[in-house]
Amino acid sequence: MIELLLIGIKVVVVTLIVFALPLPLTYIERKVAGHIQVRLGPYRVGPHGILQPFADMVKLMFKEDIIPAKADPWLFRIAPVIAMVPAFAVFATIPFGEKVTLPFVNYEVNLYISDMDTGILYVLAIAGLSVYGIILGGWASNSKYPLLGGLRSSAQMISYELALSFACIGVVMIVNSLSLVDIVKAQSGWHWNILYQPVGFVIFFIAGLAEINRIPFDLPEDEGTLGAGYHAEYSSMRFAFFMLTEYVAMVSMSILIVLLFLGGWDGPAFLPGIVWFLLKVAMLIYFIIWTRFTYPRYRYDQLMSIGWKILLPLSLANILITGLIII
Amino acid sequence: MNGNHHKNNYTFDLKGLLKKVFFVDLIQGLFITFHYTFSKTITMKYPDEETWIPYRRFRGLHTLNRNKEGKELCVGCELCQKSCPTQCITVVPMQDTTGKGIADRVAYRWEINLLRCMFCGLCEDACPTDALKLGRAYELAGGSMQRHLLTKEELLAPQAIPVEFEGGVIVKARLEADETGVKIVPDISVQKRWW
Repeated sequence: MIELLLIGIKVVVVTLIVFALPLPLTYIERKVAGHIQVRLGPYRVGPHGILQPFADMVKLMFKEDIIPAKADPWLFRIAPVIAMVPAFAVFATIPFGEKVTLPFVNYEVNLYISDMDTGILYVLAIAGLSVYGIILGGWASNSKYPLLGGLRSSAQMISYELALSFACIGVVMIVNSLSLVDIVKAQSGWHWNILYQPVGFVIFFIAGLAEINRIPFDLPEDEGTLGAGYHAEYSSMRFAFFMLTEYVAMVSMSILIVLLFLGGWDGPAFLPGIVWFLLKVAMLIYFIIWTRFTYPRYRYDQLMSIGWKILLPLSLANILITGLIII
Repeated sequence: MNGNHHKNNYTFDLKGLLKKVFFVDLIQGLFITFHYTFSKTITMKYPDEETWIPYRRFRGLHTLNRNKEGKELCVGCELCQKSCPTQCITVVPMQDTTGKGIADRVAYRWEINLLRCMFCGLCEDACPTDALKLGRAYELAGGSMQRHLLTKEELLAPQAIPVEFEGGVIVKARLEADETGVKIVPDISVQKRWW
């Protein structure tokens, strides 16, 4: 009974935190963008613009919810939800740390909702579902730019999901387990997988950037050539759902990279594990934001050729060499 | 395969390949943007905290000067009115109503319609007594048309930036808002150069 209650509490807490995360992330992203471009970024709302995300949230809520006349109303309404739900569902298996003892009540709690035996498979499968929301959103808008964005997204997913999964296989071969908790435990004591799988790490990172539609692979919402791509026709809260999905995907991809390659909550003992974990994730998120304002966008054919001609053969070779070394 | 004939003169470029494999150019790019992240921004915090003071040559809101004893320099010669291309200046000299003659010729009315003024500075050039000067106030937006019809008394009031101040700097400023409009009050004692 208390176990069930605990799981319920964990689900609520994780969902609330993940729901709230895009607020600071949009602010950080705009601030970093501003300073990289020798501007100030948001500055007017609150001291140093700290209340800007709340103002944006209120603005989005009060905007008119427009459905284009020729759009498919049912698909148009459901697409943001299809995009958003998998982004949250991923967090069901993501571990944030090992057992901690709660103060005052002296009760041991696992810092994850569930430790599936096939955790990494689940995460990859569910995270891949998010793209259906993008494709359907682009399709249902019945407008050329969203349609092109949606089509690009589907092609991009096919090219990158493979490399992403193959890059994980090297890690799985070393650790001999698909469970994310086991993968982190196997890396404890500075045996981080990035040291044994550097090529796998690079492939996973690049394919991950493509998976979460970040520059240099943000072709589905290419501001320069597609207006806003798949969400060009969306406004109000439906648009907010798409934005939310994007930021949550960025967080979950950073978490996944930390778990698979950067040792999870492993670190020097003077700080608790969860702090190391959050620090690593924050560094990766900063890095992803930083790359967004450094690199231009790849052309569509370049994106495909990188995916099929470079990343896929490289990840296969990586698996082969890892296998040979293990034997 | 029409597009591939240029590959015949392809030479193996090891250095270029290694640069690609280890992302050398991309990492250099990251360092550049990292440097900019922590460099000084060029954005001015206008109007809440900072404002730009133009150079003396700036042609802003007109100002009428007085001499050291505090007497108006304007003699009501109407040259500014005649030189004005948009005919936005109205000058009426003081009329002799006493019958005994007035010792000093001064303007009775000196009015300007800022809505028509194009700030060309011809009035300033035409002025024989250096009474008229285009000052450095440039925040002229207002809520009513009436605000832009300025009379002699308003123009004789000294402007916020003294003539001696060279300008060309960003200074500390304060935004003051009341029912008549907003006003930016510069504090020229605190300066910074933005470059």
